[in-house]
Amino acid sequence: MRALRSGALLFRKDLRVLVRSRGLLAVLIGYPIVIAILLAIALSGGDRRPGVAFVNLDAASGRTVQVGDERLSVDDYATRLEDDVDLVRLDPAQAEEALAAGRVSAVLTVPRGFIADLQSGLKPPVLQLATNPRSPIEAQAIERNLESAVFRLNQALATAYVTQVLNLVDLIQDGGTVGIFGRSGTLLGLNESSTELARVQAQLRRDGRGALANRLGPLRDYISGVGENLELAKPAAQAIASPIKLEISEGAPGREPLSALGIAGALVVGIGLVGVLLAAALLSSEREDHVLSRLGRGLAGPGTIIAQKAVLAALACAVVGFVLLGVVALSTSVSVGRWLLWLPALLLAGLASGAFGLLIGALARETRTALLAGLMIALPLAVISLIPGNDIAYWASALAGFGPAARTFQGLLVDPEVTSSTYSGMGILAVVALVYGVAARVALGRRMHA
Amino acid sequence: MGDRLLEARGITRRYGRVEALAPIDLGIDRGERIALTGPNGAGKTTLLTMLAGVGAPDAGVITWTGESAGAVGWVPQKPALYPRLTVRENLRLFAGLEGTDDAGATAEGLIARADLGEFADRRAGALSTGTLQRLNLAIALAGSPALLLLDEPTGTLSPDQRVRLWAWMDDLVTTDRMALVFSTQSMDEAARNADRVLVLAGGRLLHDGPAGDMDEAAFMQLVGDPA
Repeated sequence: MRALRSGALLFRKDLRVLVRSRGLLAVLIGYPIVIAILLAIALSGGDRRPGVAFVNLDAASGRTVQVGDERLSVDDYATRLEDDVDLVRLDPAQAEEALAAGRVSAVLTVPRGFIADLQSGLKPPVLQLATNPRSPIEAQAIERNLESAVFRLNQALATAYVTQVLNLVDLIQDGGTVGIFGRSGTLLGLNESSTELARVQAQLRRDGRGALANRLGPLRDYISGVGENLELAKPAAQAIASPIKLEISEGAPGREPLSALGIAGALVVGIGLVGVLLAAALLSSEREDHVLSRLGRGLAGPGTIIAQKAVLAALACAVVGFVLLGVVALSTSVSVGRWLLWLPALLLAGLASGAFGLLIGALARETRTALLAGLMIALPLAVISLIPGNDIAYWASALAGFGPAARTFQGLLVDPEVTSSTYSGMGILAVVALVYGVAARVALGRRMHA
Repeated sequence: MGDRLLEARGITRRYGRVEALAPIDLGIDRGERIALTGPNGAGKTTLLTMLAGVGAPDAGVITWTGESAGAVGWVPQKPALYPRLTVRENLRLFAGLEGTDDAGATAEGLIARADLGEFADRRAGALSTGTLQRLNLAIALAGSPALLLLDEPTGTLSPDQRVRLWAWMDDLVTTDRMALVFSTQSMDEAARNADRVLVLAGGRLLHDGPAGDMDEAAFMQLVGDPA
C-alpha cells in the first residue's frame, strides 16, 4: 500500500516536471513524432520507381502475337511495364552482376517461348522476377509494382482477346470478309444462310417439291439456335474479359495513402523513441537531482520507482500511438479499426521500450548520457525492425521489443483476422518488458544503496 | 544525556578491495550533537549513509531503542530535491513519501520553521545556495526524525548562512531533543557545534570523545601529516 502511494506521488511529480520542462518534452515527444512521420512518408514511397534489369531471352524468335487490332512483341510488353518500373535492358550475365552489385533491385526475365505461349493460349506465359534478398523493402515494392503492372496488362490482353472473339462471332452471325492463309474471301454468315435457306424452301414449295422443302426445316432451326446461342455468348465473353473491375478514385487533396509498412514503421519508431528516451531521462534525472539516496532510505524502493516510470512511459507511448493512428485515420484512406486491440498493443510496446530505457537510465550517470545512449541504441534497432522477412533483424531489434512491436502493428493493420502471431507478438513484448524491468530494478537498487 | 537512541555494533563496509569502514561501534543519545571529522576518504559519508539506512553495512547491527525507531532525517551533501518543483511542492511531496497524514499541513509547518515563506512558490532550482540548503534540511525534517544526519551541511555556505543554519540546528536539539550527527572538515566548526567529536581515518574510528578534547593540533597528531 505504501509502495502504491509512493508510486502515485512520484508519478504525479514526474508529470508535473514534464509539463514544466517544455524543451525536454519537445525533444522527448516531438522529435520521435517528427521522425516517425518522416519515416512513414519515406516508407510509403508510392511514387518511387525502382530500377529493374530486363532480360529478353525470347528476342531471337522475333515472334509477335496478334491480339485484336494490335500486334504485340516482347518489346511492346516491356514498354507497358515501364509505366511502373525503370527497366534497364541487359543480357543475363550483366543483369546478374548488376543485381549482385546492387545497381538494380531486381531482374525481370522473359523466358524463351514467351510469345509462343502467349499465342498458343495452351499454357500461360510466365515472367521471371528475381529480387535482391539484401533489399527486402525494395523487393517488396517491386513485387507490388510488377504484380499491378502484370494484372493491368493481363486485363488489357483479355479485353483484346475477347474483342477478337466477339468480332469472330459477329462474322459468323452476320458474315463478311475474312483472311485465311494469305487469301481473303467472303463469309456468308448464319443470318444470311438462314435467309437463303428460306428462299430455297419457298422455291422448292412453288416447284411442288414440298417434301424436300420440309427436310430443310431442321437445318434452318439449327442455324437459328446457333445464332441465338452465339448472341447469348456475347455478354458472357464480355464478363470474362473483366472478371473484377477495380475502381480507383482520387481522394480529397492532401490525402495520401500510406502503406501498412509505413504506418507500422512510424509507430515503432515513434513509440520506441518516446518510450526509451522518456524513461531513460526520467530515471537518470532522479540521479542527477541527487534524490536517489533520499528515496532509497525507505521512501520509495527501486521496484516502485521502476514500475511507476514504466507505467508513465507506457501511457505516453499509448497517447503518441493513438495520435499517430488518429492522423492516419483522418488523413489517409487506410482503415485503422480494432481500437480495442490497439490499446494493449501500444501499452505493451510502450512498456517494453520504456523498460529498456529505464535500464539505460539506471546505468547512465547523467541525463544527457542517458539520452544520447538511448538514441544511439534505439534508433538503429527501430529501423532494422522494419526489415521484413529477416529473422536476424527481427531478433536483433527484439532486444528492445521493436521487432515484435512491428509485427504486431502490421498484423493489426493488414491481417483480415487477428492471428495468433499478433497475440504472440504482444506476449513477447510483455516478456521483454519484464526482463528489462527486472534488470533496471537491480541496476537501480545498486545505485541507490551503493 | 544517557537517553540512548541508537546503538551500532561492528559496522563494516567494503567497496571492492577498499575497506571503507573497519568494524565501528557507536552509540547516539537523544539531543546529542556529534561531529564526524577526518581527512578525505576517511569513511565519514559511508558511516552516515549506513546510519541513514541508505546503504546496508556488510556486517554489524544497528539497534534503535524507543518509539522513534528508524526516524532518520538525511541531509546529503548536495541538495537532494527536485529543482523544477517549487519549495512547497518539494516539501509536500517528501512529506507524502514519509507517510505523514497531512502532507500539506506538514509542508506549511516546515516552510514556517525554515523561514522559507517568501520562497514557497519559487522553483527550487532558482533558489540561492543558502536557501537551497535550508530547503534540503527542511525536507529531511518532513518525517519528524529523532536523528538528523548531515553530510558536510555548511560546505558551500557563506559565514552568515552558517550562523543561521547552526542557530536552527540548536533550536531543533533543544526544542525537539533531536540528535544530530554531522560531518565536517573544520575542527573549529566541530568544536563549536558538537558535544562529541568522532575522528575517522582510513575507515577506522581513531577518536570518540568530548568536543573540548579535540583541537587541530590533536587532530593532526592523531591522523598524521599526509605530506
